Amino acid sequence: MLSTLQPPRSLTLLPFRRFHGSKTIASLASSSPTLDASFVSPPQSQILTTRRSLLSGETTASEIAKSYLSRIRLTEPQLKCFLHVSENVLKEAQEIDQRISRGEEVGPLAGVVIGVKDNICTEGMPSTAASRILEHYRPPFDATAVKKIKEMGGIVVGKTNMDEFGMGSTTEASAFQVTANPWDLTRVPGGSSGGSAAAVAARQCMVSLGSDTGGSVRQPASFCGVVGLKPTYGRVSRFGLMAYASSLDVIGCFGSTVADAGVLLHAVSGYDRFDSTSSKQDVPEFDTQFLSMDSFESKPLKGVRVGLIRETLEEGVDSGVRSATQEAASHLEALGCVVTEVSLPSFSLGLPAYYVIASSESSSNLSRYDGVRYGNQVMADELNKLYECSRGQGFGGEVKMRILMGTYALSAGYYDAYYKRAQQVRTLIRKDFKAALDHNDILISPAAPSAAYKIGEKKDDPLAMYAGDIMTVNVNLAGLPAIVLPCGLVEGGPSGLPVGLQMIGAAFDEEKLLKVGHIFEQTLKGSGFVPPTLPNVA
Amino acid sequence: MATRALLAVVTASPPRMIQIKASTFSSSLKFQRHITTIGRCFSSDTNPSVLQPPDVSRLAETARISLTPSEIEECGAKIRQVIDWFGQLQQVDVSSVEPAIRAEMEGGNLREDAPETFENRESIRASIPRFDEVYLKVPKVLNKE
Repeated sequence: MLSTLQPPRSLTLLPFRRFHGSKTIASLASSSPTLDASFVSPPQSQILTTRRSLLSGETTASEIAKSYLSRIRLTEPQLKCFLHVSENVLKEAQEIDQRISRGEEVGPLAGVVIGVKDNICTEGMPSTAASRILEHYRPPFDATAVKKIKEMGGIVVGKTNMDEFGMGSTTEASAFQVTANPWDLTRVPGGSSGGSAAAVAARQCMVSLGSDTGGSVRQPASFCGVVGLKPTYGRVSRFGLMAYASSLDVIGCFGSTVADAGVLLHAVSGYDRFDSTSSKQDVPEFDTQFLSMDSFESKPLKGVRVGLIRETLEEGVDSGVRSATQEAASHLEALGCVVTEVSLPSFSLGLPAYYVIASSESSSNLSRYDGVRYGNQVMADELNKLYECSRGQGFGGEVKMRILMGTYALSAGYYDAYYKRAQQVRTLIRKDFKAALDHNDILISPAAPSAAYKIGEKKDDPLAMYAGDIMTVNVNLAGLPAIVLPCGLVEGGPSGLPVGLQMIGAAFDEEKLLKVGHIFEQTLKGSGFVPPTLPNVA
Repeated sequence: MATRALLAVVTASPPRMIQIKASTFSSSLKFQRHITTIGRCFSSDTNPSVLQPPDVSRLAETARISLTPSEIEECGAKIRQVIDWFGQLQQVDVSSVEPAIRAEMEGGNLREDAPETFENRESIRASIPRFDEVYLKVPKVLNKE
C-alpha cells in the first residue's frame, strides 16, 4: 500500500532508466514485470559463466586471468583500487588449467578472480588495513574466508584499498592512496570497502571480499553500482579479519550480480573453530535461488511481504534517492510483493549509539598495534615512549580520533552514560527490527542518503561523514543480513550515478534476500550498471 | 572549563520517550552543530556531574598515542563536536532496558582450551621488529622509581 508515498519524482533520473515519465505507481503495479519491450538482457553471473566456459573448454583460466590483469594495468593508474596485486595470479591459473586438462575435479570457484580487502589476512601477501603501522606486514596465515576461497580454486588477485582499519565512508582515510569511483573519477567510491567495490564495478576482479561494521560493504556497493552483501553476524568466520568493533564486524561479499555475491557468500560461510562467534547454523545451498529468467512466473514474488522503512525516506535524503527507492518498491509490487510502510521508532538513535560502540570497541581492539610484535616500530629510550611514538606515527587522523573518543566513552564514570547506554539503545533497535520482521519477509530502504559525492567534500567534517551511515548502522547493531543492489541512477558524473536499494532480512535468512534480490535484478529494465569510464567491458 | 559548570547544573528532567524520531532524524542528518550544552538533559540513571568534556592530552596519554600540539588542537575540536553529538543518547529513556552486548547468537561454540603448535613460526618471527633469540626486544621498562 503505497498510497501514502509521494509519486515518483523521476526528473532526477536519467532518461534511459526504467519507470520514468508520468506513470503512476498503480499502473506500474499492474504491469507485467518481465514482458516489456525496453528490456535489455539481464546481468550474468561471472562465477557461473566462468565455471561453464572452463569446463566446456571454451576458454582457459589463464586467458581469463590475463584479461583481468590487463584491465587492472589499464585502469589502475586512475582508479587506485589495489594496494597490492599478486604476482602468482598466472601461475595459479595455469595450475587450474592443468587440472582441467588432466580431467581432475576443480573447486566451485576455479579460475574466479577475487579481490580481498586489505584488512583480511592473506598469507605471505601484504595485509595492512591501509595503515602505516602495518606497512609491509605479511601475515603468517590466511583468514578462514581466504583459506576457503583458495581451497575452492579461487584466485586472490590482490588486496583492495580501504579507509584505515575500516574507519571511514569514502576510502579517503587510507594511509596510501585515494580510490576513485569508476562512474566519475572525481568522486569517492564510498567506504570503507571502497577498493573492493570499485574493483568489481570496474571489472578488475569478478567478486571481492569486504568487511562491514556499519555499512562498509553496502554503502560503497551503492556508490559503485554493484551488489554488496552483508551476512548475518556469525555467518562468516572472522578469523583473520583485523578487528575494529567486534560486536558489529562481519566479512561481506561484492559481485556484479546477486548470484555472484551469493555464491561467494556460500563459499566463505560456516562455523570455524578459530572464531567462537561463528555460528553452527546450516548454510543452505544458495545456488538454487538463481533461476533463469525463463522460469519466472508472471508474479514470481507473489505474496512476499515487504516493509518500506518510513524513517529512511524522510528529510535529509536526496530526492533522487527517494524516488529511486519508491520506484524499486513499485517494481517489487509489480513482481507480486505486498509492500507496506513500516516504522522503526528507534531508527535515528542508531547512529550515535553505533559511533559510541564502534569507537569504544576500536579503542580496545587497536591497542594490539603497539609496534612490538609486528608492524612499524619507532625506537625510543623507554617502553611507553616506544608505544606512543609507534602509534602516534603509525595511525592516521581518523583512527586516532576514534581511539580517543572510545577511550573517553570507556573512562571510569562515563561507561554507563555512553557505552552501556548505547548497548541499551541496541536492545531497542533489535526489538523494533524484530517487530517489523514479524510482519514482513524483508524490509527495504535506500543504502545511503545520497549517491557518491566528490572527493574531499566531507573529508574534514566528521559529523557530515557519519550522517551518511544512517541507513546502514542499525542493521549491524541488530546483527541482521542485508543486501544492497543497484536500483537506479541519479544525475551526476558523465552518465549518471548509481543508487542502491537495501533489503534487510531476518537473522540467517540470506536465502530470502538472495531470492528476492536476484528476481529484482533480473527483471529490472535498463542498461545494466556498467560504469562509463570502462574501456571494452561488456 | 566553562562547559563543566554548565553540565553540572543540568538536572534530571523527566525522561522523554523515544518518539523523537522524526525531528532527530532530520537533525541528525544535518547535525545541528551548535547544540548548546544547556539544552542537553540527562535522565535520572546517569550522574551528570561526572560527565566532563574530553581532555585530549590526557586521553592521548591513556591511549598511548603521541600527538603534536597542532594535532591536539585539531583532533580536540573534532572530538568535542562528536562527544557533544553523543549527548543526544542521554535523552532516551532506557531505565528498564537490558543492554545488548551484541547480536543474539547461540552460545557453546568455544573450543577446548588446549595449546596447539602453530607451524609457520618463522613467518611470525620475521614480522617482529626487534628480537634476540627467543625474546622480543624492547627498551628498558623500569626507568626510575
